[in-house]
Amino acid sequence: MDELLEQFLIEAPELVQRASDDLIALERDPGDAARIDSAFRAVHTLKGSVALFDFAPMGMALHAAEELLGVVRTKKLSPDNSVITALLDCVSACGAWVESIANSGILPPDAHAQSQRISRALLNHLRADGEASEAASTNMEWVTSLLALESDALVEIRHEKRMVTAVRYVPDHGCFFQGIDPIAPIRAVPHLMALRVEGRTPWSTEGFDPYVCNLVIDLLSAAPVDDVRRIFASTGGQTTVVEIAPGTLPTVSKVARADPRRDATSRMLRVDSERVDALVDILGELIVAKNGLAHLATQAAAVDTRLARALTINQATIDRLVVDMHRALMNLRMVPLARTFRRLPPLVRDIASRLGKRVDLDVMGDDVEADKAVVDGLFEPLLHVLRNAVDHGIEGAAARESGGKLPTGRVTLSASREGDQIAIAVADDGPGIDPAKIRQAAKASGIRSPGVIDGLDDKTTLDLVFAPGLSTASSVTDVSGRGVGMDAVRTAIESLGGRVAINSVLKQGTTVRFTLPQAVVITTVMVVAVGEDEFGVPIDSVVETARVPADRITPIRSGAAFVMRDRTIPLVQLSSLLGLADSQRASSDIKVLVVAVGDQRIGIEVGDFAQRIDVLLRPMTGFLAAMPGILGTALLGDGRVLMILDLPELIG
Amino acid sequence: MTVTTDGAIITLQGNCGIDDAETLLGFLQAQPAPMVDLTNATHLHGAVLQLLLAFRPPLSGQATDMFTRTWLIPLVRGT
Repeated sequence: MDELLEQFLIEAPELVQRASDDLIALERDPGDAARIDSAFRAVHTLKGSVALFDFAPMGMALHAAEELLGVVRTKKLSPDNSVITALLDCVSACGAWVESIANSGILPPDAHAQSQRISRALLNHLRADGEASEAASTNMEWVTSLLALESDALVEIRHEKRMVTAVRYVPDHGCFFQGIDPIAPIRAVPHLMALRVEGRTPWSTEGFDPYVCNLVIDLLSAAPVDDVRRIFASTGGQTTVVEIAPGTLPTVSKVARADPRRDATSRMLRVDSERVDALVDILGELIVAKNGLAHLATQAAAVDTRLARALTINQATIDRLVVDMHRALMNLRMVPLARTFRRLPPLVRDIASRLGKRVDLDVMGDDVEADKAVVDGLFEPLLHVLRNAVDHGIEGAAARESGGKLPTGRVTLSASREGDQIAIAVADDGPGIDPAKIRQAAKASGIRSPGVIDGLDDKTTLDLVFAPGLSTASSVTDVSGRGVGMDAVRTAIESLGGRVAINSVLKQGTTVRFTLPQAVVITTVMVVAVGEDEFGVPIDSVVETARVPADRITPIRSGAAFVMRDRTIPLVQLSSLLGLADSQRASSDIKVLVVAVGDQRIGIEVGDFAQRIDVLLRPMTGFLAAMPGILGTALLGDGRVLMILDLPELIG
Repeated sequence: MTVTTDGAIITLQGNCGIDDAETLLGFLQAQPAPMVDLTNATHLHGAVLQLLLAFRPPLSGQATDMFTRTWLIPLVRGT
């Protein structure tokens, strides 16, 4: 791909993002001059980048947005809701266009029509503003191209941060007969900076009529707009005069652009994430080789203890280095949560406005970092939870006021580090979830038997919102309640190695909390034997290991259970979970892995416990990916492949 | 008359107005590759300018008039 375009595709989404952030912040605090400036700069820079390519509709829309922001910036227009909406429409369209450019290299076919609609909406605000009405009445493409064309002449002005006046003068065809010389006023323009004269229709030397004026005259002047306007006063509707705020002048070239942020980011290196992934793969192989060394040391011990000791010391060093390297590599993949968090506010705003609700979204802790896979994977589930919060969590303004709350609902999205985990919470200040309603819905959808449901405490009842098939939405709105429930959220989070929890206080609000691993870690597994076979079980799914005397096992109908610390724990055999032949119990003690499934403890009988090892878990791919109960595989030091079991899923 | 020609070179002088346009057109069409001298042109009327823009004849000489030299000649030269 063209290097310039590649750079554009990296920068453009960031600029779109920044503009979008700023606009949403502005909606809350319309007087925030820093945000106005920032949005203006983002749009301006984006427009400048777009001008390097053949994406005219995008340039046109951005130009209109820039015009409008320019007026907002000079405080001639207050960024009210409709102004922000028009600007956000433009910015989000640009986001979509950039995506299209990234995918196909071109703008979507409807871009032109869309751009015109967007530009018109933006310029309508300018027209209402009066001051810039002339700018609104016409396509502004000529200004953009004029500014771009004559950049060199404008260098001085750019540094002086002065206003520039642009003029388009299209004299009547018959003006020559009226004794008008269109060049005469041009001569009178003070501080002329650029002049372009073109034919209204392409010039043709065939049958040229010297008495028909075919001129279109565009110029830039550094003089105040009123002075320039006075010169063209007699030309009336043939002239468009546009005032251009400082800072909107196009840059001469991409390279020469003075961007202060460059200095701060020049130490940064953008690396394709695939290259990092390739390193991670190599590290995986290295871990296997390292484990092989341990195996070798054990073998050597039988032959030469001194050699074995030397090998072991060496292996310990390599061990440490691999761990360091793993940490360093995982740091490379660390990205701030902002990457996902920033995409959410515009969407929440959109959801709220579609539902006719007023909701403020507070975002905190978006500088917390996590593995790229985790951060990217959070988008869908977070959006779902936020959608629920706005739709079901926040009441309408009237209901809120009668409940003594502010009419604008508040949803907080926050993140924090908790050891090597990150915690993400979405909290709303809505009415909370009534456990009685959940019980009712659970019974109605038949996900548990009524007896079971009635026996649940409130906390466990709330957890039922994560159960498949439960929908509490009393009405199917446009936004949610279409049956894609919180179970999808739980599945998504658990596939990232995380957990979900919900907490709700009536009249005060609901909080959904995700706990996720910060990094894709080397998994420590416990190797367990069933007969001749060995399997790995992630150590974090094992609560404890126990040896239970066979006579303490109580048969219960077809199953069995035992009592441990005053708690009855059901016992299942791993061999039967896996559909393997039952193996003979070697001793009177039964070896049990106690695992937690939800709030329940379950004992799993295994043939034997073997060592704990660190492995890089490889997820199953292709046909095997659909196999239930298997997390993935790991390559062992001696070349064997160990299946890593997903015990909670196996138990079902 | 401010527009004259010696056959190969068309010379514009002084304030070239609307009246010069038709003459200039005749000269431009009469010769296969005419050259235009703007050295002593002090102003080009819009009608004259559009003729030069349409035919884009090579220009000889640098105008003494600052406005013509700075703004109009580059337009005709297309620079």
